[in-house]
Amino acid sequence: MGGKVSCTLGEVKNRADFILYWGGNPAECHPRHFTKYTIMQKGKFLPEGRKGRTMVLVDIRETMSVKAADIFLQVRPGKDFEVITALRALVKGNRVDTALVEETGLKLEQLQDLVDRMKRCKFGVIFFGMGLSMTRGKHMNSAAVLTLAAEMNAFTKFVAMPMRGHGNVAGADMVLRWTTGYPFGVNLCRGFPRFNPGEFSTVDLLVRGDIDAAFVLGADPGATMPQPGIDTLARVPTIVLDPKVTHTSRLARVHITTSVTGISSPGTAYRMDEVPLPLRPVLKSPYPSDEEVVRRIIAAVDKKTAWLPRPETMSSGVA
Amino acid sequence: MTVTITQHATCTFCGCVCDDIELHDDGVKIIKTKAACSLGTSWFLNHTAERLYPDALIDGKEASVDDAVEVAAEYLHRANMPLVYGLSNVTCEAQREAVSLAEKIGAVIDSHTSL
Repeated sequence: MGGKVSCTLGEVKNRADFILYWGGNPAECHPRHFTKYTIMQKGKFLPEGRKGRTMVLVDIRETMSVKAADIFLQVRPGKDFEVITALRALVKGNRVDTALVEETGLKLEQLQDLVDRMKRCKFGVIFFGMGLSMTRGKHMNSAAVLTLAAEMNAFTKFVAMPMRGHGNVAGADMVLRWTTGYPFGVNLCRGFPRFNPGEFSTVDLLVRGDIDAAFVLGADPGATMPQPGIDTLARVPTIVLDPKVTHTSRLARVHITTSVTGISSPGTAYRMDEVPLPLRPVLKSPYPSDEEVVRRIIAAVDKKTAWLPRPETMSSGVA
Repeated sequence: MTVTITQHATCTFCGCVCDDIELHDDGVKIIKTKAACSLGTSWFLNHTAERLYPDALIDGKEASVDDAVEVAAEYLHRANMPLVYGLSNVTCEAQREAVSLAEKIGAVIDSHTSL
């Protein structure tokens, strides 16, 4: 399973007549998503706006977003993968066991109705949040929902998009992809990139205590990681770049205050649909930008001996 | 007090990255926002250009940025398996520098995506 069938939010606004949110609460976490990009807008091919669109919400509990939905499907916690698998079977017209569907907290008729609506629409989109990608099944859930969207293209136009939380986390994926070939959890210890989520992902490295130094920028793992991970950050030398003195700064050996991204420091940020947008800073900060500080640390590291064996020494010694 | 009005400012609080925000600032603080949601408004109003924190801290004591950069470079250079983590609230330009640093020190580089 690989690849993502996606589009920009502009296309969603102008074309999507079927919008499914899975494991997210945009009403409270992305307050302008409904009004600016999805259900509330009048689009080029949807002159009726909200009336011309169907919105389905799948979640484990009733959130503020339920009020905006036409259909709410309450899934039993941890059963998302089973629901997606049943949907994929129904899309292909395969028989699905009623009892197995009922274990997920839903009824077969509800899923069949959902599949019928998905097939009937002109342009469908699935937005999936951390309620899907960070619960039981994790990246397998994301892969399943992306596959469901891809398979729906045998019937109609269908796309899927993750609801990104932080301002430029989509940018982090993009930059790592074009520099190393992988989107996150990239190990450069051997001088070339290696990718293995679960082994080289931060939470696992920290909980196992595999690292011997940490450089943190644009994050506060000291406030969000599990306790064994925070203990590792306190044990090893940790360096923090942040506009504020954070929880991580308090357990770090070095903290450097930087200017706030987008308010004081210029640059580019990627929206969740991977559209790059320029930032327009308005205030002049007394602190340097993250970019400048990282560049100065690189210059200071450059003055020291390189950690990789030099070519002239590599041929001697070890056979 | 002169108020500057900026059109089409970009909010980097959440993944929506709305780029249609109007900001009113007095040079030190943003005093008013238009079009921003409740999360975006608090993001803009709570970050100022005031000097509220020390330039740098080494072992919890105030220090200069120059010294902090040297100490940071020493720790990172000495480490066998350093971790570069975060990247989600910084610009792409800063992320690119962070990848360059990670390559130089032989680090694992990761963002919030892996959580």
